[in-house]
Amino acid sequence: MESNSSTVSTSELSGREHRREFLKRLAVVASSSALLADLPWWTPLRAAPVGDSPADRVRLGLIGVGTRGNLHLDNLLRTPGVEISTLCDDYPPHLDAGLAKVKGAKGFADYRQMLEMPGLDGVLIATPLFLHARMCLDAFAAGKHVFCEKSLAYSIEECQAIADAHRGSGKVFQIGHQRLFSPVFLRALEYVRDGRIGQITQIRAYWHRNGNWRRPVPNPGPDPSPFPSLERRLNWRLYLDYSRGLMTELASHHMQVANWFLGAHPVSCAGYGSINYWKDGREVYDNVNLVYRYANGTQVVYDSLISNRYYGCEIQIMGPKGTIEGEVGRLYAENPPPAPGIVQLINGIERGFFDVVPISGPSWVPELKKDTKGSLLVHGAISDDGSMISMAAFANAIRSDKPIPGMMEQACRAGVCVLMGQASMEQQREIAWPEGFRI
Amino acid sequence: MNDIVITGRRIVRELLIFAGCFVSALGVNTFAIIRFRTEWKELITTLHITLAVAVLFFAVAAFLRVLVFCCKHFTSRRAA
Repeated sequence: MESNSSTVSTSELSGREHRREFLKRLAVVASSSALLADLPWWTPLRAAPVGDSPADRVRLGLIGVGTRGNLHLDNLLRTPGVEISTLCDDYPPHLDAGLAKVKGAKGFADYRQMLEMPGLDGVLIATPLFLHARMCLDAFAAGKHVFCEKSLAYSIEECQAIADAHRGSGKVFQIGHQRLFSPVFLRALEYVRDGRIGQITQIRAYWHRNGNWRRPVPNPGPDPSPFPSLERRLNWRLYLDYSRGLMTELASHHMQVANWFLGAHPVSCAGYGSINYWKDGREVYDNVNLVYRYANGTQVVYDSLISNRYYGCEIQIMGPKGTIEGEVGRLYAENPPPAPGIVQLINGIERGFFDVVPISGPSWVPELKKDTKGSLLVHGAISDDGSMISMAAFANAIRSDKPIPGMMEQACRAGVCVLMGQASMEQQREIAWPEGFRI
Repeated sequence: MNDIVITGRRIVRELLIFAGCFVSALGVNTFAIIRFRTEWKELITTLHITLAVAVLFFAVAAFLRVLVFCCKHFTSRRAA
């Protein structure tokens, strides 16, 4: 993986030039990675650049044009060789806003009608979690390629059903874990593989926010959709009928990275969760704490809460030689090279002048967190967290009509992982990886 | 208003003093390299720090010289 020079930036380009430049950069990124054997989902990005012929065009439909769907829509509009022919959403304001962005696209309220549309190559599903499985299954049954937002599905059984339906379908499946395509995480993986942090001995991840996680509801009242009220429809993440809360909506990202870097799924997990602050009628936990155990003895420690954001969001991959923080994109060596002698001398003199001499003090001071800045994994500004590149990969895979290797495995591992965690917290016991789960 | 004349001799003298400061800073750097067992290439790679230390030494020297000048000036006036 080359550094910043090969990352994909789209902001300063437009039109035809934009497409060509985008493809050129993409090709550099894809072909320069020394890790391609470990990253089979990058294979489609190595395909020949898209031409302008109609045969090169991929016709996609987007199911769900809410917050995430809108972001996908924007990215698709900038992806070469993609035609967004249909949009689907049963919430009219979202659908109208989406259609306003895409000239000539047809709008549907029912995704099944959309799947019947001739000439549609694939669909992107960006709907509430509980709808993922039925939409994926219907899409595969209709012979469409599928991009499904994370987390994979609402239950382990549904994850299995999607994996089974995909197997043998010959269709492309891609999951919305954009870190799989993030230049920063690719570099992090490269560093892990070349031993820069040594063996991974622990992964710690957290996602902290401070907010009620609610979306404003314009006109609360009866709703003709599967939801009993508009409030539940817009705030589906807060109700257990539609979502598994912090686990499926946030933790799945970091659990996907953990499984990816460890090259395995956990054998079991245990944890606790509760609603200890946002007691406003929600059903999903507002704080979760879990430990995932892997076969090689490594543990992944995860916690999330929405009543304090001091520590923000991070995944820390730790080994005896260093720590990688993926979200800030930094590597912290355990034993960084010493500062130049003259700097050490000046610092020593400075300390002699200005430091307080402790008469007595805590003996654990040397154990406190090291205040080191580390080194950047990728230098320069990165304009894409992987979301944009993942759209290009999906389109290219459809164009070549070949399933993306390894993608379903990533989706299932992460999807099952977070559902194990949720089950563990609800049942207050250790939950094992489902025996016989087939990917 | 009087013109201040800086003679060539004066400039040479100041340059020699600064050179002395720079050599002293290099000496400090050498001492630090030996003391902290770091690499000798730091004599080159930390030249900017050495230069900064040299400027600091020059400033300290200038302060001392002004102090000496003031003392001398004061005592000579009293003697007169």
